[in-house]
Amino acid sequence: MTDLQTANTTAQDLPEGVRAILAHTGKPRSFLREEPIRNVVRNGVPGYELGVNLTSYRALPLSCVEGLRLNVDGVDVDPSTVTLTLNGYSHKLEELAQLSQVWWFILDPASIFVPRAKPLAAGSHQVNATLITVEPYVTAGRFSFYHPASSTLAVE
Amino acid sequence: MTAKTGLKLGVTLHSFTSEYITYKWSLEDMFQLASVLGGGLEIVGPAHQRGYPNLTDEFERIFKSSVERWGLTPTSYGTYADPFMLKERDLNADEMVDYIVPQLKSAAQLGFPIARLQYFSYSVIERLMPWAEKLNLKLGYELHVPLMIASEKTRMLIDQIERIDSPLLGLIPDTGIFARSIPEFCLIGARHAGVSEALVQRAIVLWNARTPNRAALEELIGLGLRKENVGTVERMWGSFGQSEPEELKPILPRVIHMHGKFFSMRDGEEPDIRFEEVVKVLVESGYDGWMSSEYEGQGGVDTFGLVREQQAMIHRYAAKYAPH
Repeated sequence: MTDLQTANTTAQDLPEGVRAILAHTGKPRSFLREEPIRNVVRNGVPGYELGVNLTSYRALPLSCVEGLRLNVDGVDVDPSTVTLTLNGYSHKLEELAQLSQVWWFILDPASIFVPRAKPLAAGSHQVNATLITVEPYVTAGRFSFYHPASSTLAVE
Repeated sequence: MTAKTGLKLGVTLHSFTSEYITYKWSLEDMFQLASVLGGGLEIVGPAHQRGYPNLTDEFERIFKSSVERWGLTPTSYGTYADPFMLKERDLNADEMVDYIVPQLKSAAQLGFPIARLQYFSYSVIERLMPWAEKLNLKLGYELHVPLMIASEKTRMLIDQIERIDSPLLGLIPDTGIFARSIPEFCLIGARHAGVSEALVQRAIVLWNARTPNRAALEELIGLGLRKENVGTVERMWGSFGQSEPEELKPILPRVIHMHGKFFSMRDGEEPDIRFEEVVKVLVESGYDGWMSSEYEGQGGVDTFGLVREQQAMIHRYAAKYAPH
């Protein structure tokens, strides 16, 4: 495949602009974004925040987000305490079921806020997270899809 | 607008999902790539249109600017019925119509002559047809696995299309229903997930014998397939179907567009999809329409190069079977 890529980016029959596009590199993608965890205060509540991506290939209404599992350094986070912030609006996980008119566009990053009295210590933290969605179009019917992600993230 | 008739090639931007969602290629980049991949352009509403299911002025201009700049021909717009979008229950008919109509308006306003419908739209088609007429938009049910041509669901769709008998309602076969074998990446995925080689081999035998999904899974579970691996094996039945290319012939008058689904290329051939026979039927029967290349194999590969290679293969077969 590397050979093919080289063939494309040097192919003389392709316009220069096309070859420039083909030479781009992207960013890795999973449910957990490869960016530092941030200790923050939201509405007076201390906690930490981490970046997440939608795991489908297309936009989904937030009502299709069935759940979220989060484990930091081996400790499970209680999902009922977590909020999801998308495009500046924060939602409790239990509220998502009602938000069938709010779309999570596939290119829009979101963040998860976890309240915590004491800031997360500086340095690396092992984060395991699973987004659970309904992919609402599947011909076979209504199923839950589990999208696990695992990453070592630094606290900024 | 091209005056060329016969089998015309384009691409669905779905082929480039992996590059698009990793911010490697922008929407505008993909439009430009489409200009050197046959020029026919297909998009997936909820993947590419910010503001979906509604059309914003901004997206309309972004789209039309690219179409003008790169000389593209919009071919088909991918709509969704999304019957499971509500948490507590399935969409009712009113809600499904309210959800699909803005998508049809989007498609027409963007200049697409065709909107791809999901099978689920079947139940509300009588209420969508007046919109198709008003918008001068053709609607086509996608025949995607598990909707093989001989399946019961496809039979229902064809009966409905015959009954309504409108030039604005037809079919969009996806070549994933013309598989001869299970693509290697899918087998590798099953092994990687921990399915034993004996079970993988048995799955291949069952798939080749066209054993129905449920019976096959029950047998494999009896042989020791673990619950957490059912999904990875189910995918073999859920993604690759075994319709006969010859079965296209009788339904071809109702075919308004094609999805050229493919999973890999090896030495200029698609090893798992019967493209030669499909193209032979299309060309010999005088199909006049587009086929969107739709790559859906593993990520992290040169998808642009694969689409080029696949289109060169289709051109080769089209020339081979062109009536003299």
